[in-house]
Order: sequence, then structure tokens, then C-alpha cells
Amino acid sequence: MDVELTEILEALCQHAPFNEIADDTQLNDMVKEIEIQYVRAGEWVIAPSALNNTLFFIRSGAIEVLSKENKLIRRMNEGELFGYFSLLRGGKSSQSMRTIEDSLLYRIPARWFLKLYEENDTFSDFFQLAREVRLRVAMDSQSSDVSLMTCPVVSLLRRPPISTDASSNIRVAAQIMAEHRVSSLLITEFDELIGIVTDQDLRTRAVAKGLAYDTPIADIMTRHPIVMDSGDYAAEAVLKMMERNVHHIPVVKNGRPIGVVSTGDIIQKESHGSIYLISDIYKQTSIEGLKSISRKMTHTFTHLVVADANTQMIGNAMSHIGTAFVKRLLQLGEEKFGPPPIPYCFIALGSQAREEQTIKTDQDNALILSDKYNKKLHGEYFEALTDWVCNNLDKCGYDLCSGDIMASNPRWRQPLSVWKENFSEWIQKPKAEALLRLSIFFDLRGVYGDKTLALQLNQHIRREAQQHSGFLTFMARNANQRKPPLGFFRQFVLDGEGTQSRTFNLKERGIAPIIDIVRVHALACGSDKLNTLERIEDIEAAGLLPDGRAKDLALALEMIGMVRIRHQKEQIEAGEEPNNHVNPENLSSFEKRHLRDAFHIVSGQQEFIKFRYAGKRS
Amino acid sequence: MSKLLKAKTKEEKQDWQAMFAQWAEEAPEGPLKRYYQAGMITPQTSLQDTPLLALDLETTGLDPKEDEIISLGVIPLSNKIIRCQGAQYWMAKPERSLNAESVTIHEITHSELAEAPPLEAILDQILAALTGQVIVVHCVAIERQFLLEASMKIYGFPLYFPVLDTMDIERHIIYKPWWKRFGRQPSLRLDACRQRYKLPRYKAHHALTDALSSAELLQAQIAHHMDPTADIANYWL
Repeated sequence: MDVELTEILEALCQHAPFNEIADDTQLNDMVKEIEIQYVRAGEWVIAPSALNNTLFFIRSGAIEVLSKENKLIRRMNEGELFGYFSLLRGGKSSQSMRTIEDSLLYRIPARWFLKLYEENDTFSDFFQLAREVRLRVAMDSQSSDVSLMTCPVVSLLRRPPISTDASSNIRVAAQIMAEHRVSSLLITEFDELIGIVTDQDLRTRAVAKGLAYDTPIADIMTRHPIVMDSGDYAAEAVLKMMERNVHHIPVVKNGRPIGVVSTGDIIQKESHGSIYLISDIYKQTSIEGLKSISRKMTHTFTHLVVADANTQMIGNAMSHIGTAFVKRLLQLGEEKFGPPPIPYCFIALGSQAREEQTIKTDQDNALILSDKYNKKLHGEYFEALTDWVCNNLDKCGYDLCSGDIMASNPRWRQPLSVWKENFSEWIQKPKAEALLRLSIFFDLRGVYGDKTLALQLNQHIRREAQQHSGFLTFMARNANQRKPPLGFFRQFVLDGEGTQSRTFNLKERGIAPIIDIVRVHALACGSDKLNTLERIEDIEAAGLLPDGRAKDLALALEMIGMVRIRHQKEQIEAGEEPNNHVNPENLSSFEKRHLRDAFHIVSGQQEFIKFRYAGKRS
Repeated sequence: MSKLLKAKTKEEKQDWQAMFAQWAEEAPEGPLKRYYQAGMITPQTSLQDTPLLALDLETTGLDPKEDEIISLGVIPLSNKIIRCQGAQYWMAKPERSLNAESVTIHEITHSELAEAPPLEAILDQILAALTGQVIVVHCVAIERQFLLEASMKIYGFPLYFPVLDTMDIERHIIYKPWWKRFGRQPSLRLDACRQRYKLPRYKAHHALTDALSSAELLQAQIAHHMDPTADIANYWL
């Protein structure tokens, strides 16, 4: 009679990775070799430095994992596996396992574990020694390049670029365009892109002006056109088109043109999304109009999430929308209060500056005035303008900053020279607590007005930061203030000291720590980037981190960010105010597992910067 | 703290080894004689050295005289480990047909049973599995009486075996004198006993699952209330 231990088989099959093994007979054969063990609470299952030859499955009860130093690493419960680290290392175990509840354990012989590990890719992926690898696989399997927001711009290219040399004349250029039936032509000199000509250019710059057919094409081309890199997202191309009011953008790879994207290509790909919201913002002439658009933002946000956009894309889109509101309000403000008497630059701080905004953020902004500023002459104008802008941003859903870090606060509305002095003071004489509040100023982007003011200030900050290593020590210490949780245990969040809580703030304890870590490195290597992922690229290029670690940070950020965005989308759909408080009960086991891996990366890197930027000890 | 199960008095302790030796003499030639001849461990064997076999059987009803065994599952264990590798399961075709009610309880269908051999044809295999083992059951009366009836019918001689009864063990563990009792006595059903040890809930009424179920319960009882170094004579019935 065939023996079937259905209860055991079914229990295993409810959990990864066994639920992914299609071959039932193989699992059934494995089950026949399982041993079952009942262990009372408080007993060792794998004692410190003991050899282990078994993969354990927790059928009921709970286990605590301790490090060599007897520090709590994690807690596990029903359906989780342990012991595989040592199996992959020939039995030696660096961690010890102890029951914290009466537990029923299935012992799966090492032979079976190694067999499945060898034969089955999904099974071995699950156990990958490097969590980072596991995380990477998880992220890869999630992205499905379907929407405009997630597809790279190269995917929109339909043919190789049509180009001609700068010495060609207008007639030849037009003939080439007609022959290939294209509406734009790239102009090259020694194979290098130097310009672009479109149908419209031929119309308005040549025919309408009655130029001779033998006029060099270079005379009517747009010189140094904006270009996209082949790795950029299609949506970024769209945003650029909107901003610059152009319909064609060359795409380059390693400096050479590989094609052109046109508005037509984009419209074919997607017919609705955040892009249209932005163009709508610029069309509004009243606060009422802007307010009505702001109500559509949650829809745009959920649309992006549903379309599988990644957090980078969503942050980018939401930040561009935020910036569009600021710009439009300042344009309307300048109409209302008159043109500015002296140049100024409105700067975004924090997430908007990093282009990592999500739904529902406070406004964090400031104003850099030209050094021509004279309080008596100009003070009133800028006070009125910034008050009006900040209050109307509030009406458009960008709540007033509780810490009063806003352009309407006279303290954060200063001439460039004062800003420079402020930063020199913060950097040269760092005070830990003050810096904690000020870290937001180290992510600073000019969004409207004379952006060279913001550029100059950023240059000043970079120079000062690199010259004062003591400042980095403080920033590194501050970046260690907010520790990620250890992981999850049942419906609780588990912390290093073994405390358990019901909810936790995913932004405070997952995303912010990564941003903080990356900011310290970015300041150390003098990166002029603001976006965290772009900063990570610079940090990687500068060789500040061991191989692969930079990428790990990016993956951890994406993983945590994705959970946060999904969480907020669910809150919106449930009619709640989106926030960052996540209850583990609402997380899938997939999310829990990968969040834990991400947290692990974050704590590792927190430790690393503490040591990397440790101050001189006397 | 957990209460240790009370040791049996000298009079209560049984010597199954001696009884097996006697039955080996008396039993008719055949599988049952060989079973007794293989012998039994001494009463002084410690619990942790005792070969244990959890057993459960499903029947057509509750009356050992009228009803018949239709399936039987066994799984070997020690005081620490249950070994799935030794699990065995048999189905037996009853002489009388099944009534609809018991079919729903066992989830065994008529057609499955129609293809099974009669108990007569497999009892020797079952005896081979039981040889030398102390049997673990939940509620000794059922298993013992049904197997006794079967062996009387097939071999004309009784089949006896030493038993660790998880229900009886549990009864002693939760026993309180009447003046300390409050309200209803806790249930001794297998599922209820398991819940007291936080063991997972299983679908009942499959012979092998129920055997596994009582095996796990015994392990929990040993871990909490029994002394693995004590003589088996303190525990077997």
C-alpha cells in the first residue's frame, strides 16, 4: 500500500520554497524521510558551535536565532526553515537556534536539501547564501516592462537614426527626410551629433523665410539639442518634451546617436498618465484651477502603481508634478506681485530635491536671493510672494512644513552669501543635534528662477564638506540614529533588543536611513547628484564601497520603497489618508522576507559608515 | 512547572516479556507464534531505549464483535524522534459492505476498499510490523479489542501487545481529586489533548494521520511529564 503522509506534505506545500516544487512525487519521497521532533520551549535545537546535518521546518512553535556573540538575530515561526546556512557550509553553524515556544519541528535530511538545491532553481534561489542576490532576483521578477513609466527609452525606438552631415544643404536634407519618411533629421559632424532639424524647422526657418535650397542645413538646425541616454526611462523623455516644448529627442548611447523618440512614439505607447497632469498644471490661471488638479493626483499615483512603475519612476513623476505646481504658482505670483526686483531662486529641499517625492508630502522649500538683496527695498516683495506661494501650495495638497522650513520663513529666505555662511558654519562647527534637523538642506535643488544661485550654493556645500572630515563623522553618526527593525515575528515587528511592536514607520526606519547613508558617501566623494540612485552610481564610481555594496543599497531602497508605495496605494483605495505606518499583518510573506533582507543590508551599511567616517581619536 | 507522571506501584507493573514467552508456547504454529517468539523487551528497559510504534485503525463501526477494521497505519518513533521512513499503511476489504455514514467519516470510498485485500491476507504483514514494538495508541480499548477479535477469527488465538496509551497518560496528567475539580473535566479527545501541547490541528480519521497524531502527542507528553530514563514498566499497559 502506498504510504502518503498527507498532513506533512500539505503543511510543507503551504510555504515557500516547497510550494514551488511542481514534482509531487519527489516531495512525497522526501516526506517519507522526514523525522519529527517535539522540543519544549527554551531548549537548543542547534546548540552554539554544534554541527548540523538537518534542514529544519517549523511545523508549529517558534525559534530564536542567536549569533556567536549570543545576540538575537531573528525569530522564526510556523512555516519557516532554518539550518540551511550550515548545510551549505558542510555542517558548521555560526548561529545557534533555540526554541522560544514548545515547537514541533520537521527534520529534513541534508541529502534531500542538497539534492533539491542542486536540481531545482527556484528552490536554490530561495536559499541563496547572499541575501542581496535573493533580493535582486525578487526585484527582477517583479518588473514587467509594460508601461511607459517603466520602459526604457530605447524600447520606443523604431529604426536607426536618419542623419546627414552638417555640410549638406537644405534640399538634400529634405530629400533624405522624404525618402525615409521621417519628421526629423540628425545633423552630424565627424559622426558626432551636433544638431537636429525637424519638419517644423524646414517650414518656419527655411521656406517661410525664403532661404535658398543650397543654404547649409547647419544654418537652420537646432544646435546641441537635448538628448536622452539609452538607459533613461521613456517617461523622462516625455517630461523633457513637455518642459522644453519639443517633439523630437535624440537618444544616444556612449555619445553616439542611436535613434530619435518623437511625441508620436510616446502617444502610441501610452495615452494617459502624469504627463498630462503636468501640462494641465501649466495651463491653469487660477488657484481654483490648480486645486482641482491637485485632487487628481492620488489617481495619477495609483495609476502609476498599478502600471507597475518602480519607485524611482514614481518618485520622479511625483516630484515633477510637485515642481510644476511650484513653478506655476511662482509664475502666477509674479503676475500678481509684479516681476522680481532682483534675481532669486526658489529651492526645493529633501525628497522633492532628490526627486523622490511620494503622495502626501509636506512642503520643504527655501529661497536664495541674489546678493543684490536689500531688505528695505526688496524685503516686502519677497515676503508677499513666498507667503502667497507657500499658502497656495498648502491649498494644493502640499501641507505647510511643521518645522517651518519654507521660503515664507525669513530665516530660510536669504541672500546667497548668507546661505554660504550658514552652510560653512554648519559644516565647520557641526553640532550633532542641529545637523539632525538640517540634513534636509543637504538635498537642495533649484526649481524656479535663477538656478545658478542654487548651483553656486551646492558647489560651496560640496567644497566645504570635502574639506571638513569632522562634519562627515557627525553626518555618519546621525545616519546611525534610526535603526531598521531586525525583521518580523508573527504579526509583530522585531527589534534588535528582542522587543516586538505592532506597527513601524517604513519611511523613518527603512527609507530615511538609506538616504542618510547615501548622502554621507555622496558628500564624501563630492557628488553633485541629488537623487539617491544617482548618488549611489557616483559612490560606486568613486570606489567608496566594496564591490556590489552600492548596488545592494539601491536594491534595498527599491524594495522598501515598493512596499511603502503599495501600502499607500492600498490606503488610498480604502479611502484612508496615506501614511508610512505599516502593520506586518498586511505584508505578504514575500514582502516580509525581502524587507528583512533589505533591513539587513541597511544595518550592515550603517555599521560600515560609522567605521568609515569615524573621527580621529585622541 | 509540569507535573511528572506518577510511577506505577509494583503490583501495577506488568512483565510483558514473561507473558510473551508463555504465549509463544501456547500459540498455534504460524505468524502469531513467530510474533510471540520474537519476544518483548524487559520491563526494566528505559523509556528512551524502548522501540515504539504508533498505531491507529479505522473501522466500520464501534462494536469490535460486529464491526471490522478497514484501514491501519503505523509510524515508528523513539522518545525524541518520529521516523516517517518506517510509516506503513494498509487498507482491508470488510466482509460486510460499508454503510454510507462511515464512508463520510473515513474518506475511504467503496471502490478503494473493493480493491483492497481482506484483513486475513495482510494480518501477517501487520504482525511483522508490530514485532518487538511497544504500541502507542490514543484510547487503548479500540485498537486492542479490534485486533484481538481479528486474530481470534483468523488464527484462533488472541493477539496481545504492550501499549502506551496517550489518552490514559493524559488522564493521569490532568487528574485532580474531586475536591480540587472545578467545572467540567478537560476533554481527553486526541485533538483536545494535542491543543494543550500547542500541537497543530490535523484532519482526523485517516489511520496514518491519527497514528502520527498520537506519536506527536506522546513526544509532547514525554517532553513535559515523563522521565525518559524510567523503566518502561512504569508506563506500559
